[in-house]
Order: sequence, then C-alpha cells, then structure tokens
Amino acid sequence: MNRETAHIAMDMLRDEGCHDMRVTLMHNHEDTIQMRGSALERLQYATATSLALNLFIDGREGFFYTNDLRAESLRQFIHDAVQTTRLLEPDPSRTLADPSRYYHGDGPELNNCDTTLPDIAPDEKIRLVRETNQWLEHRDCRIISAETHYTDRLHTAYYLISNGFEGYEQSSHCTLSTIVTVDGGKGQHLMDGWGETRIRFQDMPRSGVAPVALHRALRKIGQRPTTSGRYTMILESPVAGNILMPLLSAMSGQALQQRTSFLAGRLGQAIGSPLLHLVDDPLIPGTRGACLFDYDGVATQRRMLFDQGRLATFFIDTPCGHKLGMQPTTQGTHHLIFQPGELSLSQLMRQYPEAILVTDFNGGNCDPTTGNFSYGIEGFLLHEGEIAQPLSGMNITGNMLALWQNLVGKANDADPWETELIPSLAFDDVSFGGC
Amino acid sequence: MAQSYFPFQPEDLQRVLSAALSRGGDYADIFLEDTVIRSIELQDGMVSQALQTVLYGAGIRVLREEQTGYAYTMDLTMPAMLRAAQYAASIGQYGDHSALPLSVQASRGTSTAPTRQECLSLPVPEVMLPQQVRDTLMHIDQAAHEQDPRIVRVKASLNQRTQHLHFINSQGEQFFDERSGRAERTDVRPRTTLFVHIVMEQDGQTQMGFASRMMQMGAEMITHETIQTVISEAVSRAAFLFGASRIEGGETPVVMAAGASGILLHEAIGHAFEADFIRQGTSIFAGRLGQEICATDITIIDDGTQTGDAGYLAWDDEGTTGQRTVLVSDGKLQNYMHDRISARYFNVPPTGNGRRQSFRHPPQPRMRSTYMLPGQTSPEDIIRSVRRGIYAQVFTNGQVQIGAGDFTFYMKQGYLIENGRLTRPLRDMNIIGNGPKALRDISLVGNDLLMDHSASMCGKGGQSVPVSQGLPTVLINKLTVG
Repeated sequence: MNRETAHIAMDMLRDEGCHDMRVTLMHNHEDTIQMRGSALERLQYATATSLALNLFIDGREGFFYTNDLRAESLRQFIHDAVQTTRLLEPDPSRTLADPSRYYHGDGPELNNCDTTLPDIAPDEKIRLVRETNQWLEHRDCRIISAETHYTDRLHTAYYLISNGFEGYEQSSHCTLSTIVTVDGGKGQHLMDGWGETRIRFQDMPRSGVAPVALHRALRKIGQRPTTSGRYTMILESPVAGNILMPLLSAMSGQALQQRTSFLAGRLGQAIGSPLLHLVDDPLIPGTRGACLFDYDGVATQRRMLFDQGRLATFFIDTPCGHKLGMQPTTQGTHHLIFQPGELSLSQLMRQYPEAILVTDFNGGNCDPTTGNFSYGIEGFLLHEGEIAQPLSGMNITGNMLALWQNLVGKANDADPWETELIPSLAFDDVSFGGC
Repeated sequence: MAQSYFPFQPEDLQRVLSAALSRGGDYADIFLEDTVIRSIELQDGMVSQALQTVLYGAGIRVLREEQTGYAYTMDLTMPAMLRAAQYAASIGQYGDHSALPLSVQASRGTSTAPTRQECLSLPVPEVMLPQQVRDTLMHIDQAAHEQDPRIVRVKASLNQRTQHLHFINSQGEQFFDERSGRAERTDVRPRTTLFVHIVMEQDGQTQMGFASRMMQMGAEMITHETIQTVISEAVSRAAFLFGASRIEGGETPVVMAAGASGILLHEAIGHAFEADFIRQGTSIFAGRLGQEICATDITIIDDGTQTGDAGYLAWDDEGTTGQRTVLVSDGKLQNYMHDRISARYFNVPPTGNGRRQSFRHPPQPRMRSTYMLPGQTSPEDIIRSVRRGIYAQVFTNGQVQIGAGDFTFYMKQGYLIENGRLTRPLRDMNIIGNGPKALRDISLVGNDLLMDHSASMCGKGGQSVPVSQGLPTVLINKLTVG
C-alpha cells in the first residue's frame, strides 16, 4: 500500500479549502476457495485499495469513498466532495474528536496479523479444503451435498487526521467452514454446518470441521414443532450473540439521540440478572478484534458494558456526545467478552429437567423502542439434559428487559477465536410458539 | 458502434479473454463497472450529512464446466487486467470434472416467451443536484411535522445511484440492443431510493414508522405524489403502533394483504426456485419440475422486463437478455431461475437471472421482480371467509432455510380477523411456515394484484441485489404466528 496516496488526498483537500478531515487508505487481500464433493467449485482472488474521506467544513460533514485512485479521477472526486459538503447546513455537533483522546503510540504489540497470507501458495489452501471435504465422501448415504469453503483476508489501513493523528493497523483472519445437506426423509432436505476461524493459516484446524458439520445436519432429522408454552431456553454459544445484539444496538448514542432506544435513561440500572457481566477488551494481544484505536483515532480501552447486570456505559461518539451533552466514550465494541460460567454445555443442559436448546435463529426482529421481540428458532427439546426431539417451525417472543432478568445460567464454551466470546446461556420462562 | 465508456478497445478485451482461457477454461467473461452513489440525509431538521461512493473496476470469470475462477481488479490497465485474467484462468488447471454438456445455449428465446422488446438499456438518468435534494428533504421534514403533532424526530434521505456497465464474453456476446439491432458498449442503470423515518411520542410511549420507495429511475422518480405517499405511509405506520399489540402465538389462518406480502413468494418459494440450489440438490423443490405444487388457479412470475421496477434488467449481469420467466403456471412448477452455469448444467437456455452485487462478485441465480397473477375473489370476500385469523399488512424482513423450506417473515403491522371482520390492530409478530406446504395451503387468490416498490434488497451468498415483489390478497389456511 502506497501511503503517499493518503497524503496526496489530504493536500488536494487543503487546496480545495477543506482543513478538517479524516483520510483513511485501505488495502485488502482476500482469497476464497470453495469445493463441492470432490470438485473445486470456485477459486477467487481479490486485492482492493480504496480511500475514505470524512470532511468537516464549517460544521458540515460529508463521507466519501472511492476506489478510483487515478490522479485525475481523484482530483475531480475531491473537488465534488468539498462542493457537496459546502451545500449542507451547518451542524455544530459534527467535529473531529478531541486530539487529547487520540492514541499516542504507547499500546502493546497486538500480534493479531498473518502478513504471509498472500504469499501462501494456493495449492496449500486448496489441499486444506480438499482434505476437509474428502472426509465426507461416502461417509453417510444420507448426504445430498457437502461443501467446504475457505476464505482468508489481510486488512491494512492507514489513517491520517488533520488535527494530529497518524495511525497504521493490520489484521487478518482465515475461516474454514463446511455445510452439509442430508436427506431427512419425506422430501426434507436438512442443512447445517460448522466453521473455525483463526488469525494465522498455520493455526487452521486440519480435522474436525467436517465431522461436526455432518453431526449437526444429521441430528436435525425428524424436526417438527412442539407444543407452545413457557420453557427454559438454552441458547447455544455460536448463536448466543444474536440475542445480545438488540442490547448493544440500544446502547448506541444515535439510538438515544433519536429517542429509539429501550435503554434510554437506564444507565446504572439493573438491566439483567447478575450473570449478565460483559466487557469489551480490545487490548488483549493475539485476539481477533484487538485494536489500539478506533476509526476516529481515539485510543481504545477495556470497558465494562454490563457489571453484574447493571448497564455501565453507552456508546457515545463525538457528534452524539455534543448533541446529548454527554462525554464521548467509544463508537462500539471490538472484542466482547461475556464472563463465562463454570459448566460445559452438556452440564448446563442437565441443570434443567425440561428445556429447549436453541441452535439457530430463523428470521424475526426486535422493536428498538420497546425491546419487544419475536424470533424464529430451531433446536431441540431436552429431557433431563438429553435431546428428546429436534425442533423447527417455532417462535420465541418476549421483551428484552424481561428476558435478560431471567438469565439463570451460563456455560464456559465461548469460542476464543471469535470477536464476540459469548458462552451458551440459559434463560428461564421463555415463551415458545409452536403447535 | 457507440463510443466505449471504459478505456479499452475491443482488441484489448479479446487479449484479456484469451489470457483467461489460456489454462483450459471453456468460457470466460469480463464485467466492467463504474458506479457512483450519492446520498444526502436530513436529521434533526438539518440537511447536514452527505455520502458519496465510487466503485470502479472489472471482474473476470473463467468457467470450466461447473467450476469458476474469479478475480477482480480496480486498476483498469492492461497489465492489471491480464494479471487478473491469469489468476481466474488457474481454475482450468484443477481436475475432477464431472461430465456436463459443454456448449452454452444461445441466450435468446425461452419457452416462457420473454418480452425482449421492452428490454432496453435506460437513458443516462437525470440526477438531482445537491441543492435540489436539500430542498426536497427540507420539504419532507416540514410536511411530515404538519401531518401529526406527535412527531418528535424525522430522518429522511435520498440516494441516487448510477451504474455504467460493460460485458463481453468469449463467445462474442455483449449487451445487444434489440431495438437498434446493434451491440451496445454500455448498459446504464439508474436507481433512486427515498427513505423517510418518523419517531412519535404519546403519553410517554415512543413509536417508529418507516417507509421508502426504490425504482430504477433517475430524478423523475421524485414527484410530489411519491413524496406525499412515502411521508403518509411512514406517519401512519408510527401512529398505528400506539394502538396495536401482540396476541398469543399458535397456528392460524393468515390473510396476506395485497402488495408487500409478496415477501411470501420471495422467502417461501422464490429462493428455492433458484437453480444453483436445484443443481446442488439442496432445494426442497429439486427434481419437481412439471409437478403440481399448488392450486391450479395460481401462476407465479419472476420478471425482469418491467421498466422502472427495481428488478428490471435489460440484460442480466452475465449478458443474457432480460426476460419474464413463468415459475409456476396453473399450479405446476414450470421453470427454475437460471444463470449460465445452471443453464448449461440442465441444458436449457439461461433465464436472465444471473445477477451480482458488483464487479467484486461472481454472478449467481437471483430473483428480479416476483409476483403472483391475480385470481377471481375480492379481498373483502377473502377476509369475510375467515372466522378467526390474522390479516398481515406491513413487513420488515424475512428469511428462508433452503433445504428444509422453512421460512419466516416479520409482520410489523396487521389485524386480528374475527368473524370475517378486521378487529384488533396487531404488531411485531413473526410468521413461520414451510414453503411447499404454505403454497399448497393457499386456498383463495384475490383479484387485486399490487406491486410493492419499497426499498427491498435481497441477500444471498454475501451479495445484495435490489428486488421487488407483488401479491394479490391471498388466504393461507394455516401458518404459525407468534
């Protein structure tokens, strides 16, 4: 990546009379390999360089993005960007962040990037995909389709902010996933999968992904709804983050300022049971999502979000801080850690004589002003911790505030390679709609 | 021949295609794109935010039977194009091919009688200047507040997108203008989207309403009538929610109101008719071509020929002429939706459904504008026929599991039906069903087909494309609501 492009863009903006700006030059490298059965189905290679400009002209703000970096195109693009921004109405809340909050280069080495990804021979990546998918060949006569997908991405960004910030960051990840479709009888085609993500290619698991994917697909055979009613819900770790998202969205400054947050006015209050204990920690080396500064250049820090159920902060960026009269905090989350429990998932399941294990969501939504939700789910009816019946065609309904008050258990099974480390969670008295 | 929009002569592109086929591929194509998206937003009574995005580049695809090699470049110079072509070409060196028909069928003419005469590249669109957008948004803010004193927030934005595209493949096919009878160097696709978002407060309660319009048009979409309609929809939807509630879930008859209920077709069956899922054997409708799958008075279309519609395609994103495809005719499954790969696999003509989000993505079979033809029954008679059930009117999102066919869509606004009359206002309920079963359970089809032109983006395989849908009022005997 030629960092000079960012400086040239900044000079062009100054020539146009814009003096407050955030310039971000990004470069991504991405490889994708997909295999179905024994045949390589897709091989994709991509490199992309692009430029994002965030302009502030007399209280007016514009966002501009281009990947056309030819000199003449860039000059015209920047001219148009400045002219367009000048036509807006002034909004004094729209400013760059206070430079005293910027990252000053004193953070730890994050060690969260594999810069060799573009240099690894395609054949080596293809071999990983081929070996993974081959495990499924002739494994079970009920398999209709087996597909393994590998993608890696090396992301580089260079930041220049006119009031005194210059930053450079790199991150990477590799993901290997398998999706299996099986014949469930009676014309049913049942699909499920499994995936693993790492920062470095050398850490990718060489086995395990395909067997888990097949197991998850086969265990769905016989899916049907069960009787509507109130059950203990155990939410499996890979999808537990879905039920957390409405809480995090309601913590955004934009939602507060637009009066569309069901958490407005609740800072410091008990939103959930004491088991809801959540931090954002972007400063742990070797983890995905780790970063020393955010898009605004502001230094990141470990931040308590929910302290034993109590709402500890909102996500307030600079403009929202001005509008709401609140101190800015952060734009959002980077590396979420839900404090784990002490039980494995199977031990957690055995805590409840009858429960429903939710393994996937199928549509649904949550009203951001009230917190009322309704989601489609699939999973398993449990008796004494054992799977009694695969379930599909069911809804869960309720209100986010009541749901989190009913958090009664959690496991210790969060995937450490995710950006959100959420274990399996147990909620009491959840309304399930079925037959 | 028209002047080229992109910096290549025909012989340059031939060189790139030759490089793409140099390692054993049997087909190659080049997709060139220059897209500009301009968006201006009003918030808190101020037009204080602008966004602009430029996407410029080329995608090069090589096929060897079912296998795809794909690379893209944002550097439209010959060395960069040749590098991308050589990478995409490498798919040709990997074996394990299954036996397939080798020739791609001619891309014109299908048994579904495409109306090609309507498929013409749109004229270069008129784009509203930033000053005009600013004035329009200020007008929306004022007009909305005048409609209801309970409004505390108005957010509105106008998004104008103009795409210039060029396509050529190794069979010499490129965009072909049926009217002029000549090859076109460039397809121009405008798209304009208006969003209005309302927040209301009453007695300590807050409610939100949202409405939008999206058309493949330039500035001509923004008429006084369109603006008033979108504002009124957003305001009435927010106001409706104050008096609405949820009811206990369970299985119940559902009357889908005409228009936006087309989401039923999109989620319940549309995705399962996309022929990549059929080719892979994962769709619940695989192997059912020609079979009766629903009542004989039901006909379902996927259409790329409706000018101005979000799903309109003069050509799809792999150069196939835009078409009207009959999916279900008189209750029988008539056609799947094909891109070139699935078409050659099944040895049928492509149906013009090969779509992609941008040059960064290879095409895949996607819906365009999907709707059901009207039946004979009046909507009033359909509602009267239900003793107790749900009338579903406004939706936010939906999803389907292709293999099992289980679908959901989220009803934001509707009514309880009691003894053939709409009674209690309902909100925020998820509707769940199984695609083939729901289709079989449609017992009445209204005479009031209505197309919905709200902003509707369909996601699949990490790609998002604009679509539209429509439906007459229909009665489904049983769905799970909760």
